[in-house]
Amino acid sequence: MVTSTGAVAPAGRRPGGAVRSMVRGLVGNQQFMLLIALAALVAYFTARAPVFLSNGELANILTDFCSLILLGIGETYVIASGGIDLSVGSATSLSGVVGAFAMRSLLGSHQGEALVLFVGTLVCVSIGLAIGLTNAALINWARLVPFVATLAMLGGAAGLAIVISNGEPIGLDPRAISLTTAKLGPFSYPSLVVIAIVAACWLSLHLTRYGRYTFAIGSNEFAARAAGIDVRRHVTSVYALSGALAGLAGMFVYMRLGSGAPTAGLNDELQAIAAVVIGGASLYGGVARMSGTVLGTLIITTVTSGLIISNVQANWDQVAVALLIAAAAAMQALRPARRA
Amino acid sequence: MNHLRGAGFRRRAAVAAGIALAGLLAAAGTPALASASTARPHAGHRLVIAYNMGAEADPFFIAMNVGAAAEAKKLGVTLDWQGDPSVYSPSTQIPIVQEMLAEHPDGLVISPTDPNALQPIVNEAIAEGIPVSCVDTHVTNLSKVLTYITGNNAQGGAAAADAMAKAMHYTPGKTYQVAVGMTSPTTTTNVARLAGFKAEIAKKYPGIKIVSEAYSESQPAVANSNVNDWLTKYPHLAGIFAIDGTNATGASAAIQAHNLVGKIALVGYDAYANDVALLQQGVFAALIAQQPALEGMLEIKYMVQYLRTHSRKGIPHELTLPNIVLTPHTPASVLAKYTYPTA
Repeated sequence: MVTSTGAVAPAGRRPGGAVRSMVRGLVGNQQFMLLIALAALVAYFTARAPVFLSNGELANILTDFCSLILLGIGETYVIASGGIDLSVGSATSLSGVVGAFAMRSLLGSHQGEALVLFVGTLVCVSIGLAIGLTNAALINWARLVPFVATLAMLGGAAGLAIVISNGEPIGLDPRAISLTTAKLGPFSYPSLVVIAIVAACWLSLHLTRYGRYTFAIGSNEFAARAAGIDVRRHVTSVYALSGALAGLAGMFVYMRLGSGAPTAGLNDELQAIAAVVIGGASLYGGVARMSGTVLGTLIITTVTSGLIISNVQANWDQVAVALLIAAAAAMQALRPARRA
Repeated sequence: MNHLRGAGFRRRAAVAAGIALAGLLAAAGTPALASASTARPHAGHRLVIAYNMGAEADPFFIAMNVGAAAEAKKLGVTLDWQGDPSVYSPSTQIPIVQEMLAEHPDGLVISPTDPNALQPIVNEAIAEGIPVSCVDTHVTNLSKVLTYITGNNAQGGAAAADAMAKAMHYTPGKTYQVAVGMTSPTTTTNVARLAGFKAEIAKKYPGIKIVSEAYSESQPAVANSNVNDWLTKYPHLAGIFAIDGTNATGASAAIQAHNLVGKIALVGYDAYANDVALLQQGVFAALIAQQPALEGMLEIKYMVQYLRTHSRKGIPHELTLPNIVLTPHTPASVLAKYTYPTA
């Protein structure tokens, strides 16, 4: 039930042992190593193309980061609880398309932009929430394993997004696009909202009873039930949260493109899971760090943009992410077990 | 699309049952199925044309369906339109074609997702006496195919280069940086368009330099991110060739977000309704439109003509339809004509 933290130097070592132990502890700390990796990547890409460290490029990376981290947060909760959610990419697509229909209708009746975006956000989050609750129902009551339940939703939601949109982006909303441009340094207003959500979820996962219950269920579901936790209700809330955040990601991508695209979240579930795993989470459940997910997401988006900026063949992106996943998994395997 | 998938699953179950029955009959030495497979339409029989495409929900194929369905209705034949909803791959296409052939259609029109992988099943259909035509893409050996109708991707790429040069007021002696957004390095239509684009530049516009080619992997947000990165790296970028619909969506949003409408010559491919609206607003300098509805209409027309006359007279073995360049100055009636229909 204990999550990954920094190592503590044992007492009673000979002089110099404390330093070695501290170094070993830092090397064994996944978050620290991720920070080093991120710094190294930034240094490498900046050396290849100094413009990489510009305000404009930070804004680009932040825009990429925002939609992916919304999926990553939800995935962190789900993986910490011992599950997996493969439907978040499709939920992004479907919610964006349905939200776009609603917003196009309101724009057609000359409603104000604030009302349009508010209703659009509500619709997107509702669609995501409905997908999350369906996942939970399939897992809790149909007794499907999370992989199968969410795989079914992945196909269903992706197909539905294409069917109802006829495969085309829905809506033309240039005012929404302008909202995603940088206003405060590299930050756009929606990106500040996303950062606030990340902070709230960070606190919730690591400092509240809700977070502790999540880890408890992921560590040992039977023990959690014996301890009086309503496992079904908690699992339902975790998948609902993941779905709602995917719906919010759908809204973010809508604002970014000015339209709801049926392939907006294509394969994003794999990117989100990669970010969580790179961040040090265990797919067996019970171990996850929101800081790790944030760093994992930053690394993925940095690599993607860095390769374009430094004019490296873009397909190296997939190779780089694969290597990072392998390195993260290796670190977990080599690290002493810390689970209670 | 779900109802089609449902039908597909039922059909797969029926095929499985059929295979089991065939096994039993073969074991009993009964040749009944062999004769059924070569049965030809009798007088008064309503012709059934099986039409299989790469990705059914692609707006390009939706537009093609509109043209094919209208022609089938006009000629009084049944159109069996099937394909994977969204996955453009031989591994998903081949089982669907097998199921369609199991129903012994009178003719098959196919858009192969791979020229080699689909060749055996096309050969099999022809051997069973089912005439086969190709549309948009083709199998390697076209010698026994009734007709092959496609848009000219290389010509479309060249037309994109001309439209871009015109929009950026190309002047010999000056240098222009341009970037190309693709889906992947192996998508055959993208590759052909890029080849045509590059050949035209090499021939007529030596001042145009392609500084980057990036891939969207079918995600408009990735296409958008790629353009954002280009705009940081190349602040004097003069043109972008968004080689397909996904890249057009991502690139047009990026151009608007950076207030660069009219300052960067953005040329897109395909005439989806949204992109035509953006063309009219000046976000796109040009769109290269294919003619999918016409392709679908001609495929049905030629197949029915052959089935009814048993003659290839008047049916071109290969027909390449030119792509049309649409610009903000194109009359609205022409734009309406070439905008891909959805229903």
